[in-house]
Amino acid sequence: MPMRSKLKVSSFREIKSTFGRFFAIMAIIALGVGFFSGVKITTPAMVNTVGGFMNDHELFDYRIVSTLGWEEDDVAALKGREDVRAAEGAYALDLLVNDKDKNELVFKTHSLTDGVNVPEILEGRMPQNNGEVLIDGKTSFKVGDKFTVSEGNTEDTLDSFIPRELTVTGRIYSPAYVHFERGSTTIGSGKVSGYIYLDKSAFDMEAYTELYVKLDHELEVYSDDYKDYMAEREDSWEKAAEEQADERYDRIVSEAEDKLADGRQELEDSREEGQQKLDDAKAELDDAKAELDDAAQKLTDAEKEIADGEKEIADNEKKLKDAKKTLDDTEVTLVSGKAQLDSASATLAASKAQLDEGERQLRDGEAAFAAAKAQLDDGAAQIEAGQAEIDAQKAALDAQNEQFMSQYGELLGMLDMLPPEQAAAISAGKAQLDSGYEQLSAAQAELDAKKQELAAGQTELSAQQAVLEQSRAQLEAGRAQYQQGWAEYSASLAQYQSGKAQYEKGLRDYEDGKKQLEDGKAELEKGRQEYEDGKEDYEEGLKKYEDGEAEYQDGVTSFDEEIAKGEQELADGEQELRDLKKPDVFLLDRNTNIGYACFENDSEIVEQVARVFPIFFILVAALVCMTTMSRMVEERRTQIGTLKALGYSERAIMGKFTFYAGSAAVLGCVLGYGVGTVLFPKVIWMTYKLMYIELDIDYLFDAKLAAIAGAVAIACSVGAAWLSCRYELSETAAGLMRPKAPKAGKRVFLERFPFIWNRLKFLHKVTIRNIFRYKKRFFMMIVGISGCTALLLTGFGLKDSVSDFAEVQYEEIVTADASVTFRADDSGNMPQELSHQLDGMGAQYACVYTGAWDLVKKDVTKSMSLVAPVDYADMKGSMNFTDTEGTPLDAPSGDEAMVSISVAERYNVKVGDEITLRDENMRVLKFRVKSVFDNHVYNYVFVPYEALGRQLGEQIDINSAYIKFRQGEDVSKAQTAIGKLDDVVSITLFRDLKKRLSDSMSSLDYVVLLVIISAAGLAFIVLYNLTNINITEREREIATIKVLGFFRGETAAYVLRENIFLTALGIVAGLGLGVLLHRFVMAQIVVDLVSFKVRILPMSFVYSIALTFLFNLAVNAVMSRKLEKINMAESLKSVE
Amino acid sequence: MSAFVEFKNVKKTYKTGEVEIHALKDATFEIGKGEFCVIVGASGAGKTTILNILGGMDTLTSGSVRLDGREISKLSKKELTAYRRYDIGFVFQFYNLVQNLTAKENVELAAQICKDPLDAEEVLKQVGLGERMKNFPAQLSGGEQQRVAIARALAKNPKLLLCDEPTGALDYNTGKAVLKLLQDTCRKKGMTVVVITHNSALAAMADRIITVKSGTVESMRLNTEIVDVEDIEW
Repeated sequence: MPMRSKLKVSSFREIKSTFGRFFAIMAIIALGVGFFSGVKITTPAMVNTVGGFMNDHELFDYRIVSTLGWEEDDVAALKGREDVRAAEGAYALDLLVNDKDKNELVFKTHSLTDGVNVPEILEGRMPQNNGEVLIDGKTSFKVGDKFTVSEGNTEDTLDSFIPRELTVTGRIYSPAYVHFERGSTTIGSGKVSGYIYLDKSAFDMEAYTELYVKLDHELEVYSDDYKDYMAEREDSWEKAAEEQADERYDRIVSEAEDKLADGRQELEDSREEGQQKLDDAKAELDDAKAELDDAAQKLTDAEKEIADGEKEIADNEKKLKDAKKTLDDTEVTLVSGKAQLDSASATLAASKAQLDEGERQLRDGEAAFAAAKAQLDDGAAQIEAGQAEIDAQKAALDAQNEQFMSQYGELLGMLDMLPPEQAAAISAGKAQLDSGYEQLSAAQAELDAKKQELAAGQTELSAQQAVLEQSRAQLEAGRAQYQQGWAEYSASLAQYQSGKAQYEKGLRDYEDGKKQLEDGKAELEKGRQEYEDGKEDYEEGLKKYEDGEAEYQDGVTSFDEEIAKGEQELADGEQELRDLKKPDVFLLDRNTNIGYACFENDSEIVEQVARVFPIFFILVAALVCMTTMSRMVEERRTQIGTLKALGYSERAIMGKFTFYAGSAAVLGCVLGYGVGTVLFPKVIWMTYKLMYIELDIDYLFDAKLAAIAGAVAIACSVGAAWLSCRYELSETAAGLMRPKAPKAGKRVFLERFPFIWNRLKFLHKVTIRNIFRYKKRFFMMIVGISGCTALLLTGFGLKDSVSDFAEVQYEEIVTADASVTFRADDSGNMPQELSHQLDGMGAQYACVYTGAWDLVKKDVTKSMSLVAPVDYADMKGSMNFTDTEGTPLDAPSGDEAMVSISVAERYNVKVGDEITLRDENMRVLKFRVKSVFDNHVYNYVFVPYEALGRQLGEQIDINSAYIKFRQGEDVSKAQTAIGKLDDVVSITLFRDLKKRLSDSMSSLDYVVLLVIISAAGLAFIVLYNLTNINITEREREIATIKVLGFFRGETAAYVLRENIFLTALGIVAGLGLGVLLHRFVMAQIVVDLVSFKVRILPMSFVYSIALTFLFNLAVNAVMSRKLEKINMAESLKSVE
Repeated sequence: MSAFVEFKNVKKTYKTGEVEIHALKDATFEIGKGEFCVIVGASGAGKTTILNILGGMDTLTSGSVRLDGREISKLSKKELTAYRRYDIGFVFQFYNLVQNLTAKENVELAAQICKDPLDAEEVLKQVGLGERMKNFPAQLSGGEQQRVAIARALAKNPKLLLCDEPTGALDYNTGKAVLKLLQDTCRKKGMTVVVITHNSALAAMADRIITVKSGTVESMRLNTEIVDVEDIEW
């Protein structure tokens, strides 16, 4: 149809010539569709990604827990059900380990299961022995890290868990842990650091702690199909699980009964056997006793015999001794006799020798006498001769002396007067004479002595003669005596000879006796030895017997004990069996898994947001299309009339416009859907994956969504075109070709107040009139601009509320630097080592009890952090308790509690309410809420310390302290120093917490940026489009005022002042709307343990306003150039 | 007496791509102060081009244009705007009133921007619309609207009143009345009025008649037998 094709050509030319308008429609549709589909697809895309992971890795459908545990038989039985794909028994426990720095950590510890909860290995490999583990991929632990199982674990845990050294061989994501929250534990610091998976062989337990079932389906998680599927099965499975548990119970009971019966039998058997053994032992002992007694008798006899023998020997010995004595006496006598004899013989011999000597001496003496007599006679003769000579010499000398005296006699007296020579000669002469005399005297003396000697010799000779004669007599007598002695001696010798013979015979007899005695003695000795040996043997036997007896007694005792024990055990067993209750069975579905449940909630947040935002965009898009198209149709009035006059059908004419709008919508829709569904899930997931496993998000094409988006977009644009055309086409061709009556001017409401109206500048009045002249445009501008402002404000407000809360929490509310948990000493106080350390650092600290207690309300049970400071005065400097207005609150006392605002808001707790707290051991505390304090992180309940002990009736140890270090302290060093102490379990710096929170929340910046960009886009498109319409619509008017001589700036102001005014108005509306939208969005964002401060800072208002104006100015700048181009000649043209 | 308006060898060539359109080839004419001048010519003869150039809405290719001794062919864009603003009053064929403003306000719109404007109400009274000042254009008849337009032009107290087919959209009688108003204004106020029209009948009422044909001034003559508006028939 060539005619039709020319119309098409016209349509394409139209698009080309009015591309600005075409683009505006396309862009607003793209933005609307992009935002709508992007936000809408985000939740399904996230669910698809995480849910896909869960399905691919066979997340359990049922986790079945029984108080009795499960055995392989139970697993097999349930596995046999027709709808089961996999069923596996598994072990799980909380394990305390130490890392290489000796920090104590708690791991949720699981056994690996086949075909259900299959982990995704991110790095590393599966464990190959029981000391190798797969570790939580959300933690910072690496492959190769090592841990030691802490001695601090309970006995049970240490018994149930085999390895003591753990080595990480792989990092994983587990479908059972998609959320980063790892729950809490009652061991260690109470904080779970992560999870680990090990081979089943690492566990040593009687029964599986849980049983995982994966049903045979591939249904999408959270889907209604899945929920229906599970609902269908619930009853049947519950029954099956219970039956199986009961079966296990029966099995345990019957097994136990069998065991008890066996035990009883065994006990009886052992009792009998034991008794038998004891009896045998007893008999044996008795035999031994008899034997021993015999031996004792024999020993006694032997002893007696030995005594007798000894006596006999003693007697004989004595006899021998006597005999010996006699012999000895005899011997003595004999010896002395011999000696006598010998001496007699000697005497005799001596006497003989004496006699012989005497004879010889006598003869010598007689000879000597004769010689002496002869000598004496000689001497007498010599003396007479000498006397004669002397007399002669005397006579000669007397003669000489007379002569001399005669010559010199007279002179002798006068010698001195004589000459010397003469005197000397006289003297010499005289001396010669004297010496002669003297010599003569000496010779005379000598002769006299010899005369005397001769006389003595004569005397002696006479005596000698007498002695000689006497000795002769004596010798003769001695000889006679000797003859007699010899005779006597001969007689004695004979006598002696016979005595000696007798003695020798006696001696021989004695020797014989002695030998006999020696033999007897040896024999006795031998007997005695034998006796000793026998005695020893006997004693040994006796000892053995006594030992045996003691053993026997012990045996009897232990036998009794053993039997008693056995009986007790049996009784215990019976008691236990009686006490064994029917098991409680819990059929837990996926909703009990934190990750599964949290993800459903969290992903819904986006869906919540998706409910409001996109409507905004769609609405604006529709309005923009509507205005644009109706303007376009109006502009083409004449053309429509002409076409109509030429005979084109209404449908064909309408087609031209619907094609224009439709093609813009389709292009915009494709563009928007393409960009939106890729970009939005990606950016939003970026923030989510911090809390979840960090998978790459899957692109999800949702044909239904695309169809809806397309349909809405096309309905908006084509519908708008159709409506506008229909109205125009209802006129006749002629009517259409006539100019349309201009819209009449109207007074505005404001003119009723002349005092205001009259004060306005004239051109402002014009502006105001114009604003209210086009209601549709006015409405659109307000919606568009206010939407833009509201979006911006929400975006900035999100950031304000979210990014700041960590700083507020850890700078304004919690002012302490660190919290330390420790093991109290025996008296329940802070360990001394720690308090010394803290005092040494000059730190302030407040001791508290802190623990996880559940707030129990009708329908909810929610874990709270219960904190009980010993003294609230110490908490000053560590924590500020204020209400939301910042007014300080008083400390609770008695049974009062102070709860954090999150608790109050989420669990609807009001001041004055009574709250009930319960711990794992079902201990219960009750408090009346005294006040609600401002707090953003954790659900806190503060109570007085004294109330704990009082309500629970037992001492509650403090276990934690808030620390405020001295100004300027190196906090990290202090942390290390304190962490090293023995009794310190852990120390946390609030600075680190703050950073972690801020970091995780800073990811929201992307969302804020996304919102701001969207808002900017929206604002720009709306403003551009409307201003564009405004200008084209009033081209003639503008040309006229230009002709009138309005300067460039004045012309622009004349038109754009409206924009500015509408923008201002839109902003005012937008701020109100923004506050509401922000509140709504914040209410949708529910993050566990965190309560955001819902607030928008003044600067955010400023930014929102400024940005909106900035967009407006940008549009105005573009538009003023367009105004410039308006030809004044337009004013001369006729009205079309 | 030197000419109040002087067109000298004015040439205007529009270029559209490769095609050159010579709207004015060589136009030369002059108008005296206080004269009622009618420029007549067929469609496409170049009268609108003359109007555009004279009104400061368009520039010329060559030649010179003077108004009251001032060379306007050399003015910048901004000076041209000022020229329009202070020296020229414009009356359009289709009135070109701002629909959103009342009669008085439309007049004020122009008066606002002038150095020495006339009182808007006074002018409206003069054009005979004293009673309808607060009416919006849509509430006025065509003639009344054109009167408002004239009042708007007059209120600026311009040196030259340019009227483009002022009766073009009006019926015969109303057209006459409007022409009468223009003539009266010229006579009573000494205003120099230039009326551009294709209707040569109107020439009879003019002081000076300039005939344009194919981009050139065919003839220019002073009318010695001025006919009153009422007596003109067409």
